[in-house]
Amino acid sequence: MRRSTTRRLGTPLALLSAAALVLSGCGREESTAGGEEQSAAIADGPAEGTIEVWAMGAEGEALEDFSAAFEEENPDADVEVTAIPWDAAHDKLSSAITAGETPDVALVGTTWMGEFAAAGGLMPTPEGLVDEGDFFPGAWGSTEVGGTSYGVPWYVETRVLYYRTDLAEEAGWDQAPESWEELKEFATDLKAGGAEQGINLQPGQTGGWQTMLPFAWSNGAELTDEAGEEYTIDSPEMAEALEFYSSFHADGLSGTGLLDPGQLEGGFADGDIASFISGPWHTALVEEAGVSPDDYAVVPVPGAEGLPGDSFVGGGDLAVFEDAENPEGGWKYVQWLTQPETQQGFYDLVGSLPSVQSAWETGELADDEQLQVFATQLETAVSPPAVPTWEQVAAVIDARTEEVAKGVKDPEEAVSEMQSEAASIGTGL
Amino acid sequence: MPSTRTVDPTRRRQAVAAWVLALPFTLVFLVFTAGPVVASLAMSFTDIRRTDVRTPFNVNFVGLENFAALLGDETFRKVTVNTFLYLVLGVPLTMVVALAVAVALNRVTRLRGFFRVGFYLPVVTSIVAVSVVWKFLYREGTGFNSVLAWVGIDGPAWLDSTSLALPSLVVMAVWRNFGTLTVIFLAGLQTVPKDVLEAAEVDGAGAWQRFRAVTLPMLQPVLLFGAVITGIGYLQFFEEAFVMTEGGPLNSTRSVSYFTFDQFGFGNWGYAAAASYLLFLAVVLLTALQFRLLRQRD
Repeated sequence: MRRSTTRRLGTPLALLSAAALVLSGCGREESTAGGEEQSAAIADGPAEGTIEVWAMGAEGEALEDFSAAFEEENPDADVEVTAIPWDAAHDKLSSAITAGETPDVALVGTTWMGEFAAAGGLMPTPEGLVDEGDFFPGAWGSTEVGGTSYGVPWYVETRVLYYRTDLAEEAGWDQAPESWEELKEFATDLKAGGAEQGINLQPGQTGGWQTMLPFAWSNGAELTDEAGEEYTIDSPEMAEALEFYSSFHADGLSGTGLLDPGQLEGGFADGDIASFISGPWHTALVEEAGVSPDDYAVVPVPGAEGLPGDSFVGGGDLAVFEDAENPEGGWKYVQWLTQPETQQGFYDLVGSLPSVQSAWETGELADDEQLQVFATQLETAVSPPAVPTWEQVAAVIDARTEEVAKGVKDPEEAVSEMQSEAASIGTGL
Repeated sequence: MPSTRTVDPTRRRQAVAAWVLALPFTLVFLVFTAGPVVASLAMSFTDIRRTDVRTPFNVNFVGLENFAALLGDETFRKVTVNTFLYLVLGVPLTMVVALAVAVALNRVTRLRGFFRVGFYLPVVTSIVAVSVVWKFLYREGTGFNSVLAWVGIDGPAWLDSTSLALPSLVVMAVWRNFGTLTVIFLAGLQTVPKDVLEAAEVDGAGAWQRFRAVTLPMLQPVLLFGAVITGIGYLQFFEEAFVMTEGGPLNSTRSVSYFTFDQFGFGNWGYAAAASYLLFLAVVLLTALQFRLLRQRD
């Protein structure tokens, strides 16, 4: 018995020590992301060859047919789109990068840019491909990892204030609040008018940072230093913003529980939740829940002293891979997709909001008052630092925000803990 | 007389055939089970992150640093306490409920199959579906609270309270899990010899004494098995919290498995691997302890 036990354990142990030896023999090299040069400019002229594209969601499904116009302009090019579901996209892209078997172009969620760029999967954007100034600044920021741009923003979304105009009028508000002070009064009055929650502000928990951080940005807080190498979360501006944010919870103007799917829209329809902050998809959701378009409005998020306040910008970037077989064709395709006319055409087809500012100035987008609110908000919307460890830092911010919202920690202490935890996590670059 | 060194050709053919037949499984086992296990164990001694996907061997060997960091990690300590609470609340409750139901069912002669299926049903139902339904039951103003309201009690928001959320999840898990043990205990109860029970009765033992002195000792192997499998299940508590509370409020329902899941999500593969091996160690220790405590002393 004893002998066989030794033998049974012997093999894995030997393998393990071999693995340990192999691993100790090699060390980490300096990361490639950050401080990398932009790629050399690509040649003029039409695109050629097969361009393999991966895209997610409704965009991915519509893209193949939409690209016929590109193929007409570039007769030698053939765009092959593979639609992949969002749920599987992160893992698929990640394993493609690992295996070196990537498509030429892919839609990359803005919060994944840091990770894929740091893994060495993405090619820096070529010089002169597009003009940075054409895009919403926050959206462009999402492509920059360690000072180098690794893609081009394709579509955007941002968060605005939704409120019930009928309830607000009853409470004496003909206009939307424009500053923090007004927002507080607004929520107080709506609550006094009978709403359970004057405003719903997510009390930390998964993804809560997307609502909380805009308050900090509006107040002048920066999450990282200029170079994006060190976290600078611990600042008086941040603590002040968190204190203001959590005052809504402390005063009972916003709930502190976890909302079930549908609870927010239902509450908004019933008048229990008089206002909240969310993205463009909520216009359809609240109308589906039974809110008449005349009874609610969207307005830019109030700033600390007045309009405009900062918001969060998310969306999708287009990136070309290091292992792309046809990088030149890929970049030309990206260039085409981010021209104002193409962006307008794609908005008409699937409704994704253009990342190029001038696409909002003419056509259907320019006439839609509700959408123009998003356009205004996008001008002052900020993207979180594009670092590989962002999700982990965001989880820390969510956890500390929850503690403050529930009154178990004071804002200054929470902010200093966010800083020390974020510093120990590092930027991962 | 054949020499002992000569191998019987039939046996030899059988040995070759055995190896050939076992080969597919052995290969699959080595590639898909043993390989990943060894690789993940090796990972737990390195600082590998997901940004290293293209260069998995260019990582630093950090020895036991991940394990040391885990022990100093406030969140990890919190989730360890939570997991321990799941275990010490969940296992005895599940076993007591399952045993009580099994004993009751053992006395039922009619409709036993019906009840057995009824109690077993939650086990085969999708855990996510069950969690979603229970989430509604625990919600303010619905489910349990409407029942409490009938008797004039204003029920709390169960899942939004740091002290009630974890016990609420345990109650749901007990409801979901006791069916398996009931079926196993019921089978065990039917192996308890009737004549021994009758002999005890003749000796003047009451129902409780018969249960304590005859049934329970006879059930010991079955109880051990039940304790081990439920213990392992509760140590890996995850889905219920994932669906119902997202680990909150304030991490009060986050378990070690949940923590590991988070760390993998953040891309800290080495750290996450270390956490999962600590959990593995806990499972081994717990099982060894249970074998010791419940071993038949004969």
